Parts: sequence; C-alpha cells; structure tokens
Amino acid sequence: MTHRALIATAALAAALMLPLAAAQAFDESKYPDWSGAWRRIAVPGVTGQPGYDQTKRLGRAQQAPLTAEATAIMEASIADQAKGGQGNYPTYTCLSPGMPRIMTPYGMMEMLITPDTIHVLLEHVHDSRRIYTDGRDWPTNVTPTLQGYSIGKWLDTDGDGRYDTLEVETRNMRGPRAFDASGMPLHADNKTIVKERIRLDPANPNVMLNEITTIDSSLTRPWTVTKRYGRDPKENPIWTEENCAEGNGHVEIRGQGYFLSAEGDLMPSRKGQEPPDLRYFTEAGK
Amino acid sequence: MHRWNSITLQVIALTMMIGTAQAFDDSLYPDLKGQWTRATPDASFDPSKPPGRGQQAPLTAEYQAIFEANLREREAGVPPTWPGRTCLPPGMPAMMTAFQPMEIIVMPRATFIRIDYIRESRRRIFTDGRTWPKEVEPGFDGYSIGKWIDEDGDGKFDVLETETRYFSGPRAFDLSGIPLHEDNETVIKERIYLDKADKNLLHDEITVTDNALTRPWTVKKSYRRSADARPEWPEYLCVERSETMRIGNETYLVNKEGYLMPSKKGQKPPSVQYFPVAER
Repeated sequence: MTHRALIATAALAAALMLPLAAAQAFDESKYPDWSGAWRRIAVPGVTGQPGYDQTKRLGRAQQAPLTAEATAIMEASIADQAKGGQGNYPTYTCLSPGMPRIMTPYGMMEMLITPDTIHVLLEHVHDSRRIYTDGRDWPTNVTPTLQGYSIGKWLDTDGDGRYDTLEVETRNMRGPRAFDASGMPLHADNKTIVKERIRLDPANPNVMLNEITTIDSSLTRPWTVTKRYGRDPKENPIWTEENCAEGNGHVEIRGQGYFLSAEGDLMPSRKGQEPPDLRYFTEAGK
Repeated sequence: MHRWNSITLQVIALTMMIGTAQAFDDSLYPDLKGQWTRATPDASFDPSKPPGRGQQAPLTAEYQAIFEANLREREAGVPPTWPGRTCLPPGMPAMMTAFQPMEIIVMPRATFIRIDYIRESRRRIFTDGRTWPKEVEPGFDGYSIGKWIDEDGDGKFDVLETETRYFSGPRAFDLSGIPLHEDNETVIKERIYLDKADKNLLHDEITVTDNALTRPWTVKKSYRRSADARPEWPEYLCVERSETMRIGNETYLVNKEGYLMPSKKGQKPPSVQYFPVAER
C-alpha cells in the first residue's frame, strides 16, 4: 500500500471511527436477543397450579429435599388447605411470592438488557427484579426484600464473542416465602441464596432456560430445577396488566383468611370458622 | 487496483462494525438514568397549587359534585376516594406524581418508566413508530405511544412526547379524590425533558383530556435525580402498609392489632351472615 493510500485509509477510518465511538456506548449486538414476551412453558400431563419444578405437580410430588421441620410445615399447610384454609401460602393476600418462586413465572415476563442492569419485568403480584451487571460487590447496608438483591455476570461460554449466559446470585431476602402454592416453605431465617444460569436453548432461540439452584436452611442440600420459558411469537405482544387487589376474593383479618362473596360479604374459608372479632363496632353484638 | 481494493475492504469492515454497533445508539438520547424523586413535597396533581379545592381542577358540575362528596367523606374520617386505599394502583396520570422513586429506561423500541408504588408499574412508552393497535388490554397505566424529538437541532433527542389511551379505573388525580371520568376515555399527552440548566432536574408537562373536565388540564411536574449512582430501590407492598380494608361497598380501618374498626361514625360492621356460629 502506498503512502498516499495509507493516508486515505487512515482518514476514512478516522471519519468512520468518530460515530463508531459514540455508537459503542451500548453495543446490544454483544448480548443475546431476549426481547419479547416470555411465558412459562406448560408441561403436558402436569396439571393444577404450577409447581416450583415445573415438570412435577406442586407439593409432595416435587420431592424437594426438605428438612424434617420444613416437611412438617408443608404437610400442615397441605392439611389446612384441604380444610379450605390457605396454609403456608402468603401470596393469597397479594404479598409477592419473592425469590425464587417469582421466576416460575405466573404471568408475562419481559427482560430489558441495559449496560448495567437487567430489568426482569414480571406481570403478577409484585414480582419484578433488577439484576445488576455493573461489577458491583454485595452492598453492606441494604433493606431485605422479597425479591432480594441480585448481582449478575455475563458469560461468553462458547467463545463466539457474544454473551450467551447470565449468571446471577441473589441474597438479602425477607419472608414469608414459599416455593409454590402448596406452602412448601423457605426458611424463616431468610438466609436463602439463589443462583441462576439464564440462557437461550441452543436448539431453539425462542425457548429460554433458567437453571435455578436454591440454598436454604429449609433444604438438606442445594435444590436445582430448570425452568423453561417460551417467547410469544407476536412481534407486538399484548401486555396485560395484573392487579392482585382487583377482584381478589380473599381478605385476612388478624391472621385468619376469609373469602369474600360475589356481593362482597365475608364468608368462612373453612368449616366451623368463626367470624372475625368486631369488638370495635358498637353494633357488633346486636 | 489492489490498493483501492484494500481500502474498500477496510471501509466495508468499518461500516459493518458501525452497522452492528448502531443497533442502539444510546448517545442519541438524553441521559435519564438513575433514581428520580418528586421535586416538590406536596403530592397534589398540580404541584404549583394547594391541595384539594386549591387545585382548581376544571371539573364538570357532575364531577365537581363527586369531588365535593369525596372531600366531605374525607373530613368525616373516611380515607379519600383514591384507588390506593384498596391497594389498587393510581394509574395514569396520578402515577407520574411519583409517590415512590422512579426509574426511566430508554430502549430502542420503547421507553420504560418503573415506579414501585402499590403496583410495581412499568409504563411501556412505545417509540417504534407504531400506530394505535386494534386490540389492547385496558389498564390503569394505559397504553402509551411516544416520539423522540430533537427540538434544538443538535443531533440529539431531548424531548419525549407521549400520548396515552386505553385506561381502566377507578382513577383519581390525587389523594384528595379529584376524580377522572368513569368512562375511562382519558387521553393524556406528555412532554418529558431534562431541564436545560440543570441536568439532574426532569420535567413532565402533562395535559389531561377527560370527560370529567370542562377543558384539558395541564400541569408541570418535576423530578430530582439522586446523587447516589447506585441507589437502593425500596419495595412497596401495599398489603403490608394498608391501614384500611374494603369489604363489600364499605371501607374499614385496620388498627395495629389487626382489628377491623369503623372508619366513620355510626358505621355498621361487615355482615357475618355466612357464619353459622354468629347467627346462633
């Protein structure tokens, strides 16, 4: 290449590099395409409310490695639910399921990838998350939440120059939380650690895999399940808005769950349940 | 010939790199990152005016009467007519009062606004050039279409103009209970932009057209950016904070011990007709 050609090339490169520098502020081509609406993939033959391990029915069929204490809590919850109660199922009052159960997920899910945060938007009770990917360390003073505090790291596992896997660790949770609607408990000490590996299925880019490992004092060993989510084929999916309080047929008064009739009257949720204590109403005893 | 082939290849290579990198050039958009909180302490819909009647909302006679009734209920001790008392979200436009910290996420096809207050709202403001869809699920947050504008011609967008339609209700403008019409045919236009003199101050000019109003009502809200680059995002779960409970058509107070209490003088207790024990 002649000197003149080199100058021309350098000039062209410089001119082109200017907009390139600006454009590289966030190069989304380095990240996997997780755009769109995602939903839990139903497993044929697995009926009823979704279990935490979506390949099995909820409750006992999950064969979760529960401690004896946690098993007793779950059995008591199932027994209470058999009588019409809610058992160890805090979500019925519109409390968020928290991690790891929110990743079941119950409604539509959207993932927004930004340079420093993954926003996991979950349409359910109150389930959305932030996963920080900016290299931060665990904060020393953070208020625990049901969703917990999540730090993630992008990996290029196949070495093709693009990230394909998001590794996430979540801590700093509070309770009460359960794995599923049967009331299978996470421990009240809330020392849960949840590790996730989220990636697209190599065989189908419209299927997302989330391998979730939960370490919790209610478990005898770490419990790993793989959840599968399917992408809505519509380019512009219809996003629904879920408001748990809207049409919720449950209320809780002093720790007791009650149903609301279609007319809005209180109803017992189990046989023989007494009405709530209405001592502050002067006409209550009439 | 060989020389120009080499140059051409390099140009092509660079162009390809740019083509890839320009998939989303966020340098074209204003920096709206961070945590934004309401710049004024008062949470009235128009932050420049006193709350309640002082808002001078241009209500129709019918909706002024509803508002006056709401104020009387409030004076009598009942929480105001505000969807939040039953843990329903405020929806648009009240959610833009930012009762809790706000995050704005600018993405290629949409700008998202996250505010965790009662509902962990995530407004999707679609900026992909779409028109109003034929099939929409109405919601408290509505359906928003936006357009980025380069007003000062500097090659960067500086204003997000939005229009929001397709609502569900009930909704009120603020905690005093200024109502929006129950037909939910509200149309809301916004202009969202950073203050020219202070990049940590954000403005939202909101114009509401609603059948509860005699004319469009325009207010300007402002938000201050947190100096903390890694702020904590509080979790707001209404069910844990609510001091009221809705049973049937009545709202009751819940005291610290969890007992139901009347919210107004002479309020009857909820019916317990479905409890056999109580009927004995």
